[in-house]
Amino acid sequence: MNRIINELAKSCTIKPLNEGALLISLGNSIDVGINLFIIELHRRIIAVPFPGLIESVPAYSSLAVYFDTGVVKGIQPNYETAFDVVREHLENILRKIVLADDDTKNQVIEIPVLYDGEDLGFVADRHFLTHEEVIAIHVSVTYRVFMIGFLPGFAYMGSVNKRISTPRRSSPRTFVPGGSVGIAGTQTGIYPQSSPGGWQLIGRTPLRIFDKEKSSPCLLNPGDRVRYYPIDLIEFEKRNEY
Amino acid sequence: MSIKILRPGLVTTLVDEGRTGFRSIGIGPGGAMDLFAMSVANYLVGNDKRSATLEIHFPGPEILFQQTHILAVTGMGFEPRIDDQVVPLWTPFKIEKDSILRFGKKTRGSRAYLAVHGGWNAQEWLGSFSTHSGVQAGGYRGRALQKNDILEAGINKVEVEKEKDLPGGIPPHELNRIYSAPHEIRCIASAETDLLSPSSENEMFTSSFIIHRQSNRMGYRLEGVSLFLRQSVELISSPVDFGTIQLLPDGNLIVLMADHQTTGGYPRIASVSQVDLPKLAQLNPGEKINFKMISFFEAESELLSREKHLAELRHTYLIHFKKLLYRDSTFD
Repeated sequence: MNRIINELAKSCTIKPLNEGALLISLGNSIDVGINLFIIELHRRIIAVPFPGLIESVPAYSSLAVYFDTGVVKGIQPNYETAFDVVREHLENILRKIVLADDDTKNQVIEIPVLYDGEDLGFVADRHFLTHEEVIAIHVSVTYRVFMIGFLPGFAYMGSVNKRISTPRRSSPRTFVPGGSVGIAGTQTGIYPQSSPGGWQLIGRTPLRIFDKEKSSPCLLNPGDRVRYYPIDLIEFEKRNEY
Repeated sequence: MSIKILRPGLVTTLVDEGRTGFRSIGIGPGGAMDLFAMSVANYLVGNDKRSATLEIHFPGPEILFQQTHILAVTGMGFEPRIDDQVVPLWTPFKIEKDSILRFGKKTRGSRAYLAVHGGWNAQEWLGSFSTHSGVQAGGYRGRALQKNDILEAGINKVEVEKEKDLPGGIPPHELNRIYSAPHEIRCIASAETDLLSPSSENEMFTSSFIIHRQSNRMGYRLEGVSLFLRQSVELISSPVDFGTIQLLPDGNLIVLMADHQTTGGYPRIASVSQVDLPKLAQLNPGEKINFKMISFFEAESELLSREKHLAELRHTYLIHFKKLLYRDSTFD
């Protein structure tokens, strides 16, 4: 295992995103091992913040570090750029990473879904399945949250069974209601708020996924495990928090 | 009561420097589009840079002042008037009780910032006063101002009614350092710059692009020559920032602006240099831009000297307002 981690740390590329942000990248794939590495890197960066750190943002296989250029440069004036200072700091962290436990033992968050999405028929037809079969396949998997992005609290989850995976709509909807559950390729996710969006909508959850009044406003966080279960309209309306 | 909105204008929202520390849960910084103009508006009235200002677009709002206040309006192209008298941009001024502030438009420019001495009483959400319209939080009830809204200003530190010694404004030559050559937007390489085909890279920096009608605080769509990658690639979601230039699958560019998403899946082929974001924020749909590539080192040096310039402005006005405060307190 340690050898694999070593290889991961060595294969990272570090590039500027702009003058005040750099990007650490580990290729372009949705992979649990790589994502665990990225989440561990994120934890270590924020555990001991370097002077000038603004924030660290983990994604699937990449992570951005945003920093205050003036503060970083002020502390280390001998380096040519603030980017060089932050890169060196991150290279030191990368060298020390040993992987945290994998997260398959994490508690499973259960999410009720009324499977009445506008694209359920499209997904079913595309794969020569009935609506019930699509639902059965969607609820059969324990998904993992890889990252939060796009909208406040929007969790990218994987991986959807190939038998129902469906690319994004060719033309995005201008309005997707909050709570909508969708599929995009092998990813599944829930729109926390109403927004434009291109994912194939298969249902909606009555649960509030993002609550601005709470100190930790997101129901789902990277590394969480998620299972969906079907509910009917009566239960949906009884529990609807939107 | 402090001010009453008689007409809301196109989009008038409370903004500050933005919300930091929450990108990892999908909440972008938001904040002012033109951070230079926003900060300077605060400095001109003796506020610290964390105070909220009103971001104003054309047509601007009509605002009734129910008390006397010290104000400053910054930004480009607007012509603020008290009743029918024109007041200069980038200069602190006093508005008397029961006066109406309106915003005419004179020259090119897109956004103005209205700061009040003492700051606007905005709602704070996750450490920022900026309006987040997506989740309806921060600023004024998480939304743009509407007719008959009442907005309070914070506590005046100086004796506003008697005040006659307001500091002067920002001279035009200083503003030229930021806003001259309005259509020339400098940029630097970003994460996927090397994916751009050599001919497209050449075209990006030799041809002009027009800002599309469908441009807003989230992003500017650009119209112009279609650009291509060396080979097409499907990227998974990865972080982006204010100023990131993405190449869409149809060959068009989009520049992410203040209300951008935290992550995106399109190639980041360049980034607008941070010192030119205020300039870009003052452009309107239909206007043209030319990109000019500069080195990372040059962009960083420019950014550091911009920060120094802002710190000097802040210091100058802080001293002035401290003197006013000290003078007043000696008469107590």
